[in-house]
Amino acid sequence: MADNAVVDDVIRDPPRALISGSRPVIWLLVAPLVIGLAIFAVYPFIDILALSFSKSSLGRPFQKWPLLTNYLSLARDETFRATLIRTALFAIPVPLIETALGFAIALLLHMHLRGAGWIRGLVLLPLMTPPMMVATAWKLILAPSGGLLDGVLLRSGAIGQPISFLGTMPWAFLSVAIADIWQWTPFVAILSYAALQGMPEDIVEAARVDGASPSRILWHITLPMLAPTLLAILLLRVVIAFKLFDLVYGLTFGGPGFDTTVAAFQVWRTALTQFDIGLGAAQTIVFAILVSVVILPLTWLHRFSEARAG
Amino acid sequence: MIGTAERTKRQKGWLAAYCAAALVVAFFLLPIVFLVSVSFKSPDEALSGHFLPSRPTLDNWRNTFQIIPLGQYLFNSLTVAVFSGLLTVALAFPATYAMVRLKIGGRFLPAFTLATYVAPPVVALIPLFLLLRRVGLLNTLTGLVVVNGLGNLPVAFWLLSGFIRRLPIEIDEAAWLDGAGHMTVVWRIIAPMMAPGLAATALICGILAFDEFLLASSFSNDPSTRTLPVAIALFQGERLVNFGQMAVASITGIIPVYLIALFAQRWLVGGLTVGGVK
Repeated sequence: MADNAVVDDVIRDPPRALISGSRPVIWLLVAPLVIGLAIFAVYPFIDILALSFSKSSLGRPFQKWPLLTNYLSLARDETFRATLIRTALFAIPVPLIETALGFAIALLLHMHLRGAGWIRGLVLLPLMTPPMMVATAWKLILAPSGGLLDGVLLRSGAIGQPISFLGTMPWAFLSVAIADIWQWTPFVAILSYAALQGMPEDIVEAARVDGASPSRILWHITLPMLAPTLLAILLLRVVIAFKLFDLVYGLTFGGPGFDTTVAAFQVWRTALTQFDIGLGAAQTIVFAILVSVVILPLTWLHRFSEARAG
Repeated sequence: MIGTAERTKRQKGWLAAYCAAALVVAFFLLPIVFLVSVSFKSPDEALSGHFLPSRPTLDNWRNTFQIIPLGQYLFNSLTVAVFSGLLTVALAFPATYAMVRLKIGGRFLPAFTLATYVAPPVVALIPLFLLLRRVGLLNTLTGLVVVNGLGNLPVAFWLLSGFIRRLPIEIDEAAWLDGAGHMTVVWRIIAPMMAPGLAATALICGILAFDEFLLASSFSNDPSTRTLPVAIALFQGERLVNFGQMAVASITGIIPVYLIALFAQRWLVGGLTVGGVK
């Protein structure tokens, strides 16, 4: 989404007619959005940068200016470093799995199976479910007492003792990942299905007439043609995955220990439960740098794939 | 002229496809169906770990609404969703039109608008908390409407720019030649023509606001302004957690969005795919 391709699309064709109307009126059109972004994006960023160099509590922000103290304590903080690594270990692999699964589902829908329309409607539901309710639903399945999964495993004799899926590793991390996959795979499926439908039929048809097998068509025609789209979807998913908060809050509350604490959850905990908003701000800045470091190469890769696909 | 071997191979392919489809359906339905099932279980049975209740009961559906003011929370959530959805579109639509058609802001403004979406909302958490407190909008629905309304601006820009690009520019040109001003063109000519697009955008942004948890939980601690996701998170945290009642509360919060999915599926999918990722 945050990508040059979209920007190119947006401003591609310049208006052919002479644009009438006075300049101030034109700026009046964009003013509401610009002011909105100033309040929601620009001001917070400047404020958080200033806070990160200050000693601030939630009750009394900007008490002193110890400048680098917050950053120095983060540099020594092993737990925070682990949180950053954990965040990246969630925000890259999980979207990759979702993109692969979602595309597979889109291919399935594209086969015009009986009931495909019905599945398309169904697939929309996880995406729309409020994440906190997604967490509740999966909690009911994964809970150690009364959970469906433990119930089934115990009755079938596969395990003798109930497993605490949300309280032990690696299950807790996997549980958050599964709930996320449940919620977001449909997003990939819907977008890549639309892309599949937009593909020119004649190329695939020509290959089929030439006797190419379905798997050859998939690997040599469909995938290369849709590579830029899939990369863009993946990019968007990685962006969203970095925002992960609700599922962690609802399923594991960051535990066991800190084993499912991701960056957004850590910032929230520092700022709104420990009230140290100076340190929380510094964590936010370091987190923002991590997001940029991961996102930028992905946008370059996407631009490259687009240039290749023409 | 297909040989028998070829035909059985193809039939096996179809069989595999249907099995895969069945798995997909089962995976996506499982949590929802189990949630509904648990809502009809007695407290004892909710701890049994069976899929279906052996003796379904309506107790949870009667009790939960008395234990927590679900109706109030639902009202709060819907208020925030409706007004912030409208606010987002009202702010984003003229601006998107100006950026797409009139090239206002050049390359920078569209890129910047989208770039703000990359920042996780937790970045805005602390500053907006302090700002809302200063202007007295903490613990108010107005505060949540404004925060969500502004937060979804980049999403609305992305969706609306897709819808606007679809309209032939001849319409704008004809209006300009007739001497119509930009405000007239935007609100009197373009807006009615892309009403479905505006509605889809407002719906999607409204749903995002309805689903939002982090900011809502941080900016409204008061029962009178609590939204459903926040209420459910708090309900979960209570000591005597009753799975059946938790399920009822969650389903209550899910029903509005599923109703929208049912009746506005075309619009939603159209809205999600019109922006076009490539």
